[in-house]
Amino acid sequence: MKKEKILIANRGEIAIRIMMACEDLGCDYIVVYTHEDRESLHVRRAREKGPGKRTYRIASYKDPNEIFAVADQAGATAIHPGYGFFSENFRFARRATMRTRPITFIGPRWEVIRDLGSKINTKKVAKSLGIPVIPGSDSPIYSEIEAEALAEELFLQQREQGIRAPSVLVKASAGGGGMGIEEVQHLDTFRRVYRRIQNYAKRQFGDEGVLIEQCLRDYQHIEVQLLCDRHGTVTHFGTRNCTIQSTGRQKRVEVAPGFDPEVWDYSFDSLRVLKDITGHSVNLAREVGYDSAGTWEWVVTRDGRPYLLEVNTRIQVENEISACISRIRGREDTPVNLIREQIRTALGEKLGFTQKDIYFEGTSIELRIVAEDVKRGFAPWCGTITRFEFPQRPWARLYSHVPADKPYNIPTEYDPNLALAIIWGKDTGEAVERAGEFLLGSNIEGHNAKGEPVITNLAYLYDRLDDVLRF
Amino acid sequence: MTDTLHKHIADSGQFLSQLASRITYLIDIIGDGSWFDLEKLLEEVQQVRNAIFDLPEKELFKRMLMLEDRISILEDRAAREITPARMVNIVRSVQRFTLQDILENVYDSFTELGGEEDCNIDPAIVVARATISRRVKKRIHKHQVMVIGHEKGMGEEYRNGGCAKPWGNDKALRYMKVAETEGIPIHFLIFTPGSYPIEDFPGAAQQIARNIYAMCKLEVPTVSFISEGGSGGAEAIGLADFRLMASHGYYSVISPEGAAAIEGKIREGGKVPRELVEKCARQLKMTARDNLGLGTIDRIVHEPPLGARKDDYDFFRRLRFEMIRATDEVVLRTKSFRTFRAYALKKQIAKDYGSSDTFDVHIPWRLSEKETERLLENRSRKYRSMGQGYTELKKESLIDLHKLRDKTRETITRTYYEIKYGLLKPHKKNVQKVLEEVTGEGAAFLAKITEPVKAAVDFLSGPDGEQRLLSDENQHTSIFSREWEQYVSPLANEDRTVTCPNAAKYGCMDLWVPDLYGEFCGVCPTCGHHFPLEYQWYLQNLFDRGSVKEFNRHIVSGNPLKFEGLDARLNRDMQRTGRRSGIITFKASVLGVKIVVAMLYSNFRSGTVGSAEGEKFLRACDLARTRRRPFLAYIHTTGGIRIQEGTLGVIQMPRCTMAVREYVDSGGLYIVVYDNNSYAGPVASFLGCSPYQVGIRSSRIGFAGPRVIRETTGQDVPPDYHSARNALRRGHIQGIWDRRDFRKNLHDALMTMGGPNLYYK
Amino acid sequence: MDINLNDLLRHYRSNPYEEHEIRAPHTGVVKFRAEEGQQTFGPSGKWLHKPGTLLFLLERENNPKRITASFNGEVAGIRHELEGCFVEAGTLLLTIRHRLSKEEIIDRILTEVLSIFPAPQRARYYLPPETASQMDKKAEPSIFLKPGDDAIIMSLMKRDTMLKYEGTPGIIYKVYFHSGDMVERDAPLLGICPPDNLKYVQKVIQRIKNEWEE
Repeated sequence: MKKEKILIANRGEIAIRIMMACEDLGCDYIVVYTHEDRESLHVRRAREKGPGKRTYRIASYKDPNEIFAVADQAGATAIHPGYGFFSENFRFARRATMRTRPITFIGPRWEVIRDLGSKINTKKVAKSLGIPVIPGSDSPIYSEIEAEALAEELFLQQREQGIRAPSVLVKASAGGGGMGIEEVQHLDTFRRVYRRIQNYAKRQFGDEGVLIEQCLRDYQHIEVQLLCDRHGTVTHFGTRNCTIQSTGRQKRVEVAPGFDPEVWDYSFDSLRVLKDITGHSVNLAREVGYDSAGTWEWVVTRDGRPYLLEVNTRIQVENEISACISRIRGREDTPVNLIREQIRTALGEKLGFTQKDIYFEGTSIELRIVAEDVKRGFAPWCGTITRFEFPQRPWARLYSHVPADKPYNIPTEYDPNLALAIIWGKDTGEAVERAGEFLLGSNIEGHNAKGEPVITNLAYLYDRLDDVLRF
Repeated sequence: MTDTLHKHIADSGQFLSQLASRITYLIDIIGDGSWFDLEKLLEEVQQVRNAIFDLPEKELFKRMLMLEDRISILEDRAAREITPARMVNIVRSVQRFTLQDILENVYDSFTELGGEEDCNIDPAIVVARATISRRVKKRIHKHQVMVIGHEKGMGEEYRNGGCAKPWGNDKALRYMKVAETEGIPIHFLIFTPGSYPIEDFPGAAQQIARNIYAMCKLEVPTVSFISEGGSGGAEAIGLADFRLMASHGYYSVISPEGAAAIEGKIREGGKVPRELVEKCARQLKMTARDNLGLGTIDRIVHEPPLGARKDDYDFFRRLRFEMIRATDEVVLRTKSFRTFRAYALKKQIAKDYGSSDTFDVHIPWRLSEKETERLLENRSRKYRSMGQGYTELKKESLIDLHKLRDKTRETITRTYYEIKYGLLKPHKKNVQKVLEEVTGEGAAFLAKITEPVKAAVDFLSGPDGEQRLLSDENQHTSIFSREWEQYVSPLANEDRTVTCPNAAKYGCMDLWVPDLYGEFCGVCPTCGHHFPLEYQWYLQNLFDRGSVKEFNRHIVSGNPLKFEGLDARLNRDMQRTGRRSGIITFKASVLGVKIVVAMLYSNFRSGTVGSAEGEKFLRACDLARTRRRPFLAYIHTTGGIRIQEGTLGVIQMPRCTMAVREYVDSGGLYIVVYDNNSYAGPVASFLGCSPYQVGIRSSRIGFAGPRVIRETTGQDVPPDYHSARNALRRGHIQGIWDRRDFRKNLHDALMTMGGPNLYYK
Repeated sequence: MDINLNDLLRHYRSNPYEEHEIRAPHTGVVKFRAEEGQQTFGPSGKWLHKPGTLLFLLERENNPKRITASFNGEVAGIRHELEGCFVEAGTLLLTIRHRLSKEEIIDRILTEVLSIFPAPQRARYYLPPETASQMDKKAEPSIFLKPGDDAIIMSLMKRDTMLKYEGTPGIIYKVYFHSGDMVERDAPLLGICPPDNLKYVQKVIQRIKNEWEE
């Protein structure tokens, strides 16, 4: 693997974690950065690694042409996209594979990214495998009569389930990211909303297809971490609970495993549910020939019904809490690193273990430390960080691109994420306790242009620890 | 005594100034003052003029006579050496007669309508209600006519040299309708170097198209007279039942200078060599005699050897005679056969204008309903057959067979569809006519004709003559051919990126070519800019798979005027494209709806229209009519009329518009879609007349390109002057389609505009 | 309120030049097309549709891009050692010594005369759509701002914030940025002129016009 040179097409803590994984594997790497990020640790770390040029300044992380041009110039053999940016962009992966000088895309085959990137398509395949999906249309609807009939049925079903305030969601099929979605609480108002969304979709996306599904409100957000290789091995690394989110649906505290009946009483058999959804996820992965790390996102309602939401064909921010509670028999002395495994599989290596080699131990919590004002709708804060200190504990790991040895200006072009903390405890109680201890020991200082002190979400994170794994 | 002397001297002054103007006229014609020292001669005349009071009378007269002798000799010489380029000079000379002279001398009285010199919506177009009178055996008969023409207004700047603005042509159209309402003939007098190429509403091209479309079926006799016939500008008031032309006039697709600039690839503002202009003038076949030979005009009105000037009263008398005679002929052809023959006999006697301008009979110019019908039939036939003999077919020996087969087939098909749609019952007579027509074609097909329906069915089911399109095209492989089953542009086969022209404005990132020309259909995903795609893409993506069936492949672009260098260029394009003309005509279906399509495409002589293209378009239009199918003109690109075919190209404008008009009148749905670049003649006729014109995004539509506009109007136009958006803003087109929605939009248009039968009626 | 116009003019007259650093807009292989000391011209033509002088080609992913000058000036400091080399985004390639035009002198002096609304952060800024459309319609400055009015949209960390105007009430006399531009902190965004000061501002402009020779 010495000959491999991996281009890290991302920034912040993920770039640093990918670098560490590369070092672990003995691969060389290069990083790209923008003018804004010149002070970021991901650049400094690469620069200080040793002889040879490892950093390239580019115009934008979002311009694929910059990435490929640098890859060729530096002689990179593979590209790790991290999360966000190009991680789920099948065109980028396709170009990497099909260009005159092919470059390995560290992620699933591009066809898989494309097919699972379409929620409708995913839903269709899932349905055919008997995997539960949110009741509703599994293809865009163009006819009002058809739409109304479906809406009526959805309302009826919810009433039969005893749901007191049933409602349905009307979505633009071509939309995404919360755009063009409206909730309908009475069948009478359905037609009006339907037409509004249809017009919006036509105007905005040039396609008037509309999706209709049951609106779920009271649920937990559960994920299944999968890891597969290019030789047909499919494994999972358990579940995570990502229900604690900001108002803008940004995850803030994640926990592995997904439920803990030792701590909380659930109104359903939580272990059974987790077992079911991992089973379903593995089935779907086999069906589509999944060949990398990926996350299957589920919602579980209060009565214990799971529904598959979507598949994220990338490594996720919170991957490490799954790694943290996982052990591979016979390799207990090397901590599991999913990013490392993801790179290995992309380069064509076999996993070298199967599901029965994997077992779990303890609970792990991820804390996303962000400069934001939770009292003002999680508004991002920008300014200069002058002090950046965290407790050093054997059970805690911290990842950050923020240099602790000199003042750091938060770039205004990107999210004000400061750091990720990964906490482990032998059980949920210990993990929560240690997370609290860690937060209390953290010290971030700084000021903005007006001289006002830094605002972070440390206190918010501490408050939310009470909700960990609680339904 | 002194009085007479002064008078003599005054006369001498006048005589000398006449001599001077004769010399300047010669300089105008030759275009060169050094020709036999004309300029020096002029100086001499001026010297004599200045010395008029100093010279002894005898000496003065002697010198005057000597000068006149020399001038006469030079005039004779010039008359013998008139070249096409010099004819153009004659027409442009300030001494040439203008419309005003004709109104004053050919017509008895006239009232100008909608204009008083510069107080006029467009002083370049003059419209007048006039009377013209004929003497028959000492009795004078007056005819009412509408005169519509260009006023070059020599020296009057505001007349714009007879270049009609779009609204000037609109004015012309309005008064054509007035004449139609009043039932009086129209005399069109054409004195234009071309239309003023601006896009302001109603738009140069669009208005000319509207005029031609209207003139196709104007229900009154029309006669046109061409002194200066500059392409589209001339056609705007040129489609007439009878076309006269001044013997020293020109009628051309383009000015010789314009042609020379194109042929010589002269850069803007560069000097065009005079020899090249001369050569182009010769090659363009623009003289009256050339045009008569080509059949693009009907008769020549003779002028004096050096062309008629403002005071050639004899010429005006002759012109009056010819205008009346031409109108008579048009009228008489609508009468029953016997009367016409009687006239023809009389014509033998009054064969040509001699010394007398009297007529033997008086012929009223008002037509009955039946006669109007015949007038329109005659007009249709006249234009449909105009220049047809110059269309080349693929194999010489097959010409007749093809013609015969095509015509018979067409007749049979028409009969089949007429029966199918129950149109025949009320028109029993038509059956008769059809049978007559076919009988005339040849006995070989007689058996089939006795059973027209059966024959038509046989013909329809047989694959005879229909070829799968693209079967002979080069196959190419694409890196996506496995993934996308549909056609992918060969442009996608390169590992490189391109920059969107709007990158600076919208921040579009460079596009990877395989993405752009594959999945994105050549459209920038950020700003929607459309990169050009080859016409094959449309053939494959617009129509249902395998539904495209090309016809009339045997009609081939030729070089009817033997224009130097054209053969080689045609050959090169044929080699390159594997096609033989700039148009592809085919049957196809769009989401199951069967349509007929004519497609002008860029790779063959820039999609210019010549005889072959016109013929194919006309036949496609007729096929759509007989089969009762919607007709789509998809313009991948057209650069206008193919200038190397001269007026044979120009007449494709009225010809094809005639076919379109008859198709639409019969209830057809005609949709025009412009892509890339669509300019000039075709837009100003058979395309611009469509009620449904749509532009593909990022396309440019207009009359003349920016360079021509700069050169003719002296004004620069903004870079987006011809953009589809501006065309829509000006009301020239009815909508803009995204290429990616082309198929769906076309289907929607067919369903909503076409009604249940996909045909209006 | 009064400024010392003579001093300012003298200052600009003594050095009417600005050095503009021309950097690689993105990565790629650079090939210079301009020469040391060459005169450059910005976009020209009635609609500025003719691109300026070609400075260099920047080829990335087989796409040689023509980078042209956006203003008049003189080429200096070409980094010839980079000829034919791959450069990173933002690499300094050459400088253009640009002589300030009359309009630019007016703009610069006006920052001393007008009350300036500066950028509170390094961020992207946009004019509110209503303001922008009003500006398009009227040639003369006419939009009146008083404290508390919506002045400018600041796009920061993917979020748009409407900035309220603070400062002397007046008319937006000058907009110092293009919508969507990244503006450095404290750089001027708007130049505001109180109505009773308009005459004075116009007088200043007139004087510069008269006294500045190009």
